[in-house]
Amino acid sequence: MRQHQSFAEWIDRAAGQIMIWPAVLILLAFSIFPLLVSAYLTVTRFRLAPGGFELRYVGWLNFKKLLFGSQQYHLLGTFSALTATDWLIFALAAGTAAWLFVGAVRSGTVGTVGLIGRLIAAAVLLALLLLALAVTGDGAFPGTLVVTVFYVLAGVSVQFLLGLGLALLCAQRILGRSVFRVVFFIPLTVTPVGIAYLFRMLADVGKGPLTPLLAAFGLGEVSWAADPWSARLVVLIGDTWQWTPFLFLILLAAVENQPRDQVEAARLDGAGDWQVFRDVTWPAIAPVAATVVLIRLIEAFKIIDLPNILTNGGPGIATESLTLHAFIAWRTQDLGGSAAVGYTLLAVAVVCCVSFFHFVVRRARAHERP
Amino acid sequence: MLHRVRKTGSRLAAYVLGGVAALAVITPGQAQEFEGVSIDVMTFTGPQIAEPLQRRAPDFAALNGAEVNVITVPFSDLYTKLLTDWATGTNSVDAAVFAPQWMVDYVGPGFLQDITDWVAADEALQVDDIAPFFREFSQQYGGRTYLVTLDGDFQMVYYRTDVLAELGLEPPETWADYVAIAAAAHGNDLNGDGSADYGSCIAKKRNAQSYWMITSIAAGYLQSQGTSQGAFFDTDDMTPLVDNPAFEAALDVYLETTQFAPPDETNLDVGDTRALFTTGRCALTLDWGDIGTLAIDPETSQVIDKVGAVMLPGSRQVLDRDSGEMVECDSEICPHAVNGVNRAPFAAFGGWSGGINAAADDQVKRAAYAFFSYMSQPAQSNHDVTVGITGFNPYRISQFETLDNWLAAGMSETAADSYLGAIKDSLNSPNMVLDLRIPRNQAYQQVVLDTAIARLLAGEIDKAQAMQAIAAGWSELNEEEGTDAQLAFYRASIGAD
Amino acid sequence: MTDHRAGLWRRLTEPKSLDRMAPLPALLTYAALIAWSVVVLFPLYWLLITSFKLPVQVNDGPDYLPFLDFQPSLHAWEYLFVTVGSDTLRPYVNSLVVALASTVLATLIGSLAAYALVRVRYRVKLGAVLAFLLILAGVVVGVLRFGIDWRVALAAGTALMLLVLLTLAPRLRTAVGNEDIQFWIISNRILPPVVVVLPIYMMFQRLGLLDTHVALIATYTAVNLPIVVWLMRDFFASIPVDLEESAQLDGASRFGIVFTIVLPLARAGLAATFLLVLILAWNEYLLALFLSTADAQTMPLLVAAQNATRGPQWWTMSALILIMIAPVIALTALLQRAIARGLIVGAVKG
Repeated sequence: MRQHQSFAEWIDRAAGQIMIWPAVLILLAFSIFPLLVSAYLTVTRFRLAPGGFELRYVGWLNFKKLLFGSQQYHLLGTFSALTATDWLIFALAAGTAAWLFVGAVRSGTVGTVGLIGRLIAAAVLLALLLLALAVTGDGAFPGTLVVTVFYVLAGVSVQFLLGLGLALLCAQRILGRSVFRVVFFIPLTVTPVGIAYLFRMLADVGKGPLTPLLAAFGLGEVSWAADPWSARLVVLIGDTWQWTPFLFLILLAAVENQPRDQVEAARLDGAGDWQVFRDVTWPAIAPVAATVVLIRLIEAFKIIDLPNILTNGGPGIATESLTLHAFIAWRTQDLGGSAAVGYTLLAVAVVCCVSFFHFVVRRARAHERP
Repeated sequence: MLHRVRKTGSRLAAYVLGGVAALAVITPGQAQEFEGVSIDVMTFTGPQIAEPLQRRAPDFAALNGAEVNVITVPFSDLYTKLLTDWATGTNSVDAAVFAPQWMVDYVGPGFLQDITDWVAADEALQVDDIAPFFREFSQQYGGRTYLVTLDGDFQMVYYRTDVLAELGLEPPETWADYVAIAAAAHGNDLNGDGSADYGSCIAKKRNAQSYWMITSIAAGYLQSQGTSQGAFFDTDDMTPLVDNPAFEAALDVYLETTQFAPPDETNLDVGDTRALFTTGRCALTLDWGDIGTLAIDPETSQVIDKVGAVMLPGSRQVLDRDSGEMVECDSEICPHAVNGVNRAPFAAFGGWSGGINAAADDQVKRAAYAFFSYMSQPAQSNHDVTVGITGFNPYRISQFETLDNWLAAGMSETAADSYLGAIKDSLNSPNMVLDLRIPRNQAYQQVVLDTAIARLLAGEIDKAQAMQAIAAGWSELNEEEGTDAQLAFYRASIGAD
Repeated sequence: MTDHRAGLWRRLTEPKSLDRMAPLPALLTYAALIAWSVVVLFPLYWLLITSFKLPVQVNDGPDYLPFLDFQPSLHAWEYLFVTVGSDTLRPYVNSLVVALASTVLATLIGSLAAYALVRVRYRVKLGAVLAFLLILAGVVVGVLRFGIDWRVALAAGTALMLLVLLTLAPRLRTAVGNEDIQFWIISNRILPPVVVVLPIYMMFQRLGLLDTHVALIATYTAVNLPIVVWLMRDFFASIPVDLEESAQLDGASRFGIVFTIVLPLARAGLAATFLLVLILAWNEYLLALFLSTADAQTMPLLVAAQNATRGPQWWTMSALILIMIAPVIALTALLQRAIARGLIVGAVKG
C-alpha cells in the first residue's frame, strides 16, 4: 500500500515530464533522424550499384546546379533586368526593414539572438522580394520558389478571410446552423488527390460542367491551362475549396468560445457589429486565428497534389511548386537534387514561419487569459 | 467492360482449356512442379495488365501448384516502388510486370534475373513467334534476355476513315501530309453534334507522356539507317541528336499541329485524347495500339468502324549525320524508304513485360518464369490482345496473321485489316526506333526533354533555346553518369556493337 | 415619404430584439451561406452523377441530369464492389484501422503534451540540444559515409550523449523554454514528406514492419502530433486556471485534473482536433505509398490508382471518393453535436 502510494506520488511529481516525453520521443524518432539523413542526401549523388545503391559525396554541387547552374530557371526563374519601379519598391521595403531594425535595436528589449534572427529574416524576405521582382516582367518567368510563395500568400489570405467570414456568419442565430456547418466542412474530408482530379474534371474545357457557362461568356475556345496566370488561378481555386473549411472549423470554434457576456454588454452599450467584432471578438479569437494561420502556412508551403494532377506543373513550369519540383527530381532518381530543393523549401518556410510566430502569434497570445 | 468479360466468357473458357491441354502435352509429369510456391508479382492497379494476370493466376495454379499474388500499386509510382523494393534490399517483390525501358536501371546493379537459358529451353513460349523487334531488342539487353514480352507497344497514327473520305485525302505518309489533313479537317463537325471539331489531338501535357509524342514525330527525320543507328545520341561520342535541323523540323510539326487542336491540348494526357478521339471529336491522333480496341468498344466509342491506322509518318528529307544537314532521301541514305519517304516507327515505352527479381529463391524464380511464359504463350496471349480491358496489344506474328480473334472481338474486317496492317508494317520495319534505354533515362526524357518541350509550348523559350536546353541537359547528365559508360549502355541497347 | 422610407429601412436593418436578426442582414447572411453551399456541393453533385455515367457519357459530356440528360448506369459501382470487391474492401478496412488508431494515439499523446506546455514550465539546456544534434549527425554520417555498422554507431552515440549530459550539461546556462519547444514541434511538419520518406522507409525495413498497420499507425501518429499539440494548446490556454487550482487544493493529482476537469472542458476543441487529424490520416497518400505494398494499402492509393494507362477512370474514381467521404461526413455530423454540446456546457460553467 505504501509502495503504491509513493509510486502514485512519483507519478504526480513527474507528471510534467511524463506528459511531454512521449510526444518528444516520437517526434525525435520520426523527424530528426530522417531530417539528418536527407541533409546528408543534399551533398551526395544517388546511384544504383550492384546489390543496391551508393551515395557518392559531391559537395554542394546539387545546390550549385539549382542556384547558379542548369536548374536555375527551374528553382529561381528566368530573370529580366529590374526596372526603376522595381528598384523603388525594393528600396521602400528595404527602408522599412532597416527602420524596424533600428527601432528594435534602440528599444533595448531585444537580445542578441533576437537581433540576429531579425537580420536573417529581413535578409531572406528582402531576397525573396528582389527575386519576385526580377522574375516578373517581359521575358522573365518565375521558378518554383516564387510560384510557391505566391500560392502561400494568395491562398492563405483568401482562405483566412473566407473562413473567418463564414465562421462569423455561421455563429449567428440562424436556422439550419448545424447543416451549414457540416456542409461547409465537407471539402476538407475529400482526399487531396481526389480533389485534384475532381477539379480537373470540373475545369475540363470540353466536357466539364462549366463549358456552356464559359461558352456563353465567349470563352468556349479559350483554355485556362494554356495561360500561366489563369492556370495558377485554377490551382488556387482548388486549394481554396479544399482548405477554407479548415480555417472555418477552427475559427468557428473560437468565435463561439468568445465571452458572451462581453458581447452582450457591448451590445447593450449600443455597439454596432463592427465595433463588437473589433473590441470583443477579434481580441478573443486572435490567438487561435494566429495559430491556425501558422498551421495553414506550413501546410501551404507543401502544396503538391493540385498542380501535379491539374496541370502537371504546366504550362511550361508555370504552376510547379517546390514540393512538386522535389517530387519530380526524386522520381527520376535525383535524390540529391530533390533533397536540395526540399531544404530550400525548409529554409524559406522556417524563416517565414518563425517571423510569423514571433511577430504575429506571440503578440496575439499576449492577450490570452492567464 | 464488364459486359465484355462476360460476353467473351465462354470463348475464354475454351482458350483456357486449350492452353491447359497444350501445356500438359509439352510438360508431362510436371503438373505440380511448384506445389507450395507463392510468387508476389507487382504491377500497376488496372484493370489493364493486372486483369489478365489476376484472371489467369488460378488456372496457372491448377496447372502446377504455384500461387500467384498480383500486387498492384498506382501506375504513376510503380517505377519508384519497384526500385525502392529492390535497391534497398527489401525484396518483397519476386517478379514484376513493368516497362522494358526501366530494364537497364535494374540490369546494371544485378536486380534482374538473366533468363536467356530458360527462354532457350522453353518450347511452349514459341519465342520465334514473337515479332523480331520485341524478341531481339525489347526483351534483351546486351545480348542476354531478361524479360518476357506480354504486350506490344509502339506508336501509330490513327485517322477517321469517314473524314478522310469526305475530304478526298489519303492517309498521311509524311508529317507534312499529317499537318495538311489536320488543317483541312479542323473546324469541321466530325461527329454530327453541330459543333466544330478538331484536326489533330495529341497528348501534349507536361510531365505525362508527351515526350514520346515529340520523339515519334522526330524519329522519321532523325533515323534512316535502321534501329542500330539510334535516334537519341550519336553512337560515336554520345552527342545528343537534338540541336539540329531534323529535330527543328519535328518541333515545327509539333507546334503546327497545336493550331489544329483543342484549345487545351497542352493540358491533355493520352486518356483525354483517347476520349476525344473515340467520341469522334478529332480527325487524327497519335497513340499506342490501345485505340484499336477502344474504338470497337460500344461502351467507350462513337467511332466504331470509322477508324484507320497507319505506321508513323516520315519525311522525304532526313538528317545526314556527317554534315549535320538535311538531305533528300536516296537509296543510300534512306535504304528503308518507301515512295521516297523515310519512316521510323517508334517503340515508345516498349510494351509491358515480365521480369524476375534475381534475389528471389530459386524455386520462386522458376515459378515466376513459368507464369510469364504461360501468359505469353499464344494460347493465352492471342486471346488477351483482342480484349480491350487487358491493355495488351499484339506483339506476336500469329496475332496479326489470323483475323479470327479480332473479328470475334467485334472488329470489322476493314478495321482489322487497317489496324493489323499498321502494326505489321511497324513491326516489320527494320528502321524501328528503340526507346531510350540508358541508366536514368527518366531524367533524360521525363525531366530534360519534357520540360524543354513544355516550356517551348508555353512560350517561355523559343525553338532554338529549347533545342539547346535539351542538348545541354542531356550532355550534363552524360557527364554526371560518365559519358563513356552511358555510350556503352546506349550502344548495347540498340545493338550498335 | 422620406419618413416612411427611413422607417422601412430601419425595420429592415435593425433587429426587433437583441437575440433576433434584422430582416436585411438575415437575408444577406442566408444568401452568402447558400452561395457557398452551392460552391461546396456542386462539385460533390458532379462526383455523384459521374459515378453513374458510362465512359462514353463522361467523354461526350457535359450531361447534368440523370434520366433526362443520360441514363444512369451502375457499372462503376458494380466494378468496384462485385468485380474487384475484395480489392476495394481491404484498403477500406485498412484505412479505417490506421486512421482511427493513429488519431486516437496522436490526440491522446498530443493533448497531454499540449497541456504540459501550457501549465508546466520547461527549461532545456541549449548546449544539451546542440550536443544531441551533433552526435546524431555524427552517427548518420558515420553510417552513411563511412559505412560503420548502425548498431555500433548508435551505441557509441548514446554513450557520448550520456557523457555530455552527466558532465557538461549542468554547467551550461542558456536554455530553451516552452515556446521554443512548441515551435520545434510544429517545425516538424515543414519539410515535405517526399524528402523524408526514404529514411522512414529504411527505418521500418530494418524493423521488419513494412506493409503493416503498425508502420502506418506509428508514422501517422508522429506526423499529426504537431497539429494536435498546437490546436489543443490554444484550447487549454483558454480554460481558466483557477478551476484546476481549486481541484489541486482538494488533493487531486495532476493526471486526475487532466482527465476529470481539463479534457472534458476542452471537449469542443478535442472533437474538432480529433476530426481534423482523422481526416489527415484518412487521406494521406505519399507515406502510405511507401510503407504499404499489398496487405496494408489504404484508400488514397486506390483513388490515385484509377489514373492508369487509359487515363483517369472518372466513374470509378468518383465512386471511390464518395465512399471515402461518407464515413467522415457521418462522423462530422455526430461530432458536430458533441462540439455544440461541449460549448453549451462550457458556457454554463464559465
